Amino acid sequence: MSSRRLIVMLSATIAIACGSTRPSDMFPATDLARMTWNEVTSRARGSTVRYAMWAGDEARNRFYQGPAADALRRDLDITLTIVPLADTSDLVSKLMTEKAAGLSRGSVDLVWINGANFRTAKQAGILWGPFVQALPNLQHFDPDAIQHDFGTSTDGLEAPYEQAQFVFAYDTVRIATPPATFAELCSWIHEHPGRFTYPAIPDFTGSSFARHFLLHSGEVPPSAFAERFDAGLYDRVSKPVIEALHAMKPYLWRKGETFPATLAELDRLFVNGEIDFSMNYSPTFASDKIARGEFPASVRTFVPNDGTISDYSFLAIPFNAPNPAGALAVINTFMSPTHAIMRARAMGGLFPLRLDRLSATERDAVEALPRGPATLPLTTLATRRIQDAYAEYVDRFERDWRTEVLQR
Amino acid sequence: MSAVRAATRRVLAVIVVAGCALIPIGTVLVGSIASRWFWPSLLPAELTLRGWNYVVSGSGGIGTAFATSIAVAFVVMALAVALALPAARALALHTFRGKRAVTFTLLLPMLAPPLAAAMGLHAVFLQVGLADSFLGVVLVHLIAAVPYATFVLAGTFSGFDPDWEDQARTLGANSWSVWRRITFPAIAPGLALAAILAFVVSWSQYVLTLLIGGGRVLTVPLVLVAFQRGGDEAVAAALSIVFVAPVLLLFALTAPLFEDA
Amino acid sequence: MLLPALVVAGGTFSLGMFEVLRQSVGLGVPVAGESGPTLSHYAAVLGDREIHAALGLTLWVACISTALSVVCGVGLALGLRHGRRAKRGVNTLLQAPLAIPHLVVALATITVFAQSGLLARAAFALGLIDSPSGFPVLVNDSAGLGIILSYAFKEVPFIALVATTLLARRGDEHDQVARTLGASPWQRFRHVTWPFLAPGVGAAALMIFAYVFSAFETPFLLGQPYPAMLSVVAQQRFMSVDLADRPSAMACALILTVIAAVIVRVYLAAAGPSAGRERPVLF
Repeated sequence: MSSRRLIVMLSATIAIACGSTRPSDMFPATDLARMTWNEVTSRARGSTVRYAMWAGDEARNRFYQGPAADALRRDLDITLTIVPLADTSDLVSKLMTEKAAGLSRGSVDLVWINGANFRTAKQAGILWGPFVQALPNLQHFDPDAIQHDFGTSTDGLEAPYEQAQFVFAYDTVRIATPPATFAELCSWIHEHPGRFTYPAIPDFTGSSFARHFLLHSGEVPPSAFAERFDAGLYDRVSKPVIEALHAMKPYLWRKGETFPATLAELDRLFVNGEIDFSMNYSPTFASDKIARGEFPASVRTFVPNDGTISDYSFLAIPFNAPNPAGALAVINTFMSPTHAIMRARAMGGLFPLRLDRLSATERDAVEALPRGPATLPLTTLATRRIQDAYAEYVDRFERDWRTEVLQR
Repeated sequence: MSAVRAATRRVLAVIVVAGCALIPIGTVLVGSIASRWFWPSLLPAELTLRGWNYVVSGSGGIGTAFATSIAVAFVVMALAVALALPAARALALHTFRGKRAVTFTLLLPMLAPPLAAAMGLHAVFLQVGLADSFLGVVLVHLIAAVPYATFVLAGTFSGFDPDWEDQARTLGANSWSVWRRITFPAIAPGLALAAILAFVVSWSQYVLTLLIGGGRVLTVPLVLVAFQRGGDEAVAAALSIVFVAPVLLLFALTAPLFEDA
Repeated sequence: MLLPALVVAGGTFSLGMFEVLRQSVGLGVPVAGESGPTLSHYAAVLGDREIHAALGLTLWVACISTALSVVCGVGLALGLRHGRRAKRGVNTLLQAPLAIPHLVVALATITVFAQSGLLARAAFALGLIDSPSGFPVLVNDSAGLGIILSYAFKEVPFIALVATTLLARRGDEHDQVARTLGASPWQRFRHVTWPFLAPGVGAAALMIFAYVFSAFETPFLLGQPYPAMLSVVAQQRFMSVDLADRPSAMACALILTVIAAVIVRVYLAAAGPSAGRERPVLF
């Protein structure tokens, strides 16, 4: 063997041994148009991907550190490292400060992001992309539904991977038949003072709950709020809704003098019989809590006939991600039927993929997924689904709620 | 006042004080193994080890958090004592102009928890590359820990007579011997106390680590709050015990030092 | 000699506070349409209803916590004295609560004092109430009672420790003399014991006030969304994804620190040369 070959081999070995993320791993998103998917995967092989996600759920942590990470290592030789977050907005603030400080090489490759956080991130230009069009597994998702996140157009900057739908929970021991519509829920609240409440905005779920009243005002269909902001429409419709929410306060828990700050507090009130309803974005949350001994076995979920908001959870790549190829490969894997089925088995949740694009075996596996006693069937959830409002409606409504309902 | 009444009063007082410690600990202990603990039961309907299993397995970042907490606290302890030693000596044994100002500068971060400073440091650290780093977190913990250590040691030094050192030196001992045989034994209890306090101050920090560590430097309080806000009470309670146990142990081991120092 | 400690602790702190000042006047934060330092954020903060409520609540909680700790702590110390033999045991006992971090005490306070908490369940078992709403609101309430209670768990033993140490140092003679002269227990306390305790306990009380005023963890876990304590409001605005909130967050933080600094200044003037020696255990 010539000495030159030896040197080349040695350098290659050293280069490979010198760490899994080499400076040349970063590339601009515009390069994607020229790359094949195979090129992306081969760049990703052998690397480490740092995934920032909310860490307050034991099942989710266990799943991503266990089965999900194992599968990635086995199939793509990628090491998945979880960066636990107490709140995604922490990371968004950090990225914004990093961008302002000119930090070109960050510490996070992949982030689970939604709604308001996504909008802020997109506006601040702290996301890498667009990249979604390059992902082979995009075909498994409903193309219309993933164009918007909380009303902001995704523009290919974030990829869908989980789906959620707002549901209520109630205890069958205390309530035989839950209200069938939002209007009936209002009447119920008036007839049972002190037995209902919702988390204060800026809590995500509380905000969504209140927003349903805006979307279901009756004046216009919910879809009127989906595309773009119409100040006239907002002023016209929101005024009576805000007044109604304010008028509802005396009938709420603690006469509306205060609201629980988190879902954890709301659930505590629910479980201890201080209020009769809970709410959540995960349709399987009640079954999960029953299994963990946090809810009594008699709890069930329901969705009013008028329909509730459904949102996807998305994955995005920070502008200064050290390993964008790895992030892309991981995102694509998370969007695959195999992963989705594995995740549904481990964590519950709404199955986000299109059933018509699955193979027969996969479809059987989805149908065989254990649903839990308190979870509604997929078809029920699908027929009672409405699209979320455009981002600016959300903002204005949250602000008005805080000043006109909470502080008055 | 009869002796009986005095004794009753003492017993009552002891019960109240014991309650101040036992109520939090006991509640959290039961909560860590409780399952289906709904109103109006005074005791959980079932017991479970789910919370403890999860914590002991170290998954969900708990193992890393624990290791990081210990590492940060140790470094903070060592640095705080090293910095505090000369400062305490100066404060206790010397008079100089500006002593008031110095005391003020050291007292403020101790009594006004440095949340505000951390908010400012967040941006500064980003520019110097200290954000999200172990060193950055250590530095910000030191803001609180150094004053504690300094004032404890200052108390110790105020009872120390430097004449002994002078005598030893005139007898021919070198600095190291003076330190080893005279100074160190005299201030050892206070030194240990200062070290422990610095350790515990760092160990208990939440918002400082949250702001400066930025998710990369994960400590036990951060994971604890994440689980508590996420509603998993069993895991949060088990984590709380893990969080409190080292502190209680350290205090128990050094209780006698509190009196001497 | 002092330089290393001052530079590290004092310097870093000052650096942080300087940046806080900078951002509170609008510098260093990319907010659209603004340039140059401005006091508009301070004006906005001072006129903000939420801030008024926060200041009011924070002052209230700090005052009540301090007063409660002093009254109960001194009372406890008086009850605990005369046990010369048990002195070491008493001291250890008083230090146990001090060893538990505030974070954990706050979590336990929720479990015990909530309307559906342990105390309420005991009341239910005793037939005193028949539903959680019958139990008084002690946690997540508008007056910060839960916060005060949580601090009490640690600050009452702290004052008791300070008072006990002082009492042990002094001995009984003055009290005996007063008793033989026919003074009632209350007179003895007012004219003999309290004047002796006042300086040390007063200094410790000032420390507690400064700490409670600006601490974050406990009101974060036990407070209400509105009104919230000033440190929580500052942190919320800091963490807000809307960068326009950043200057107002900094303004709040500066106000907090300035008030705390004033208290510390008063404390220094009052405590004199023995400042800081009481081993504050405030974490």
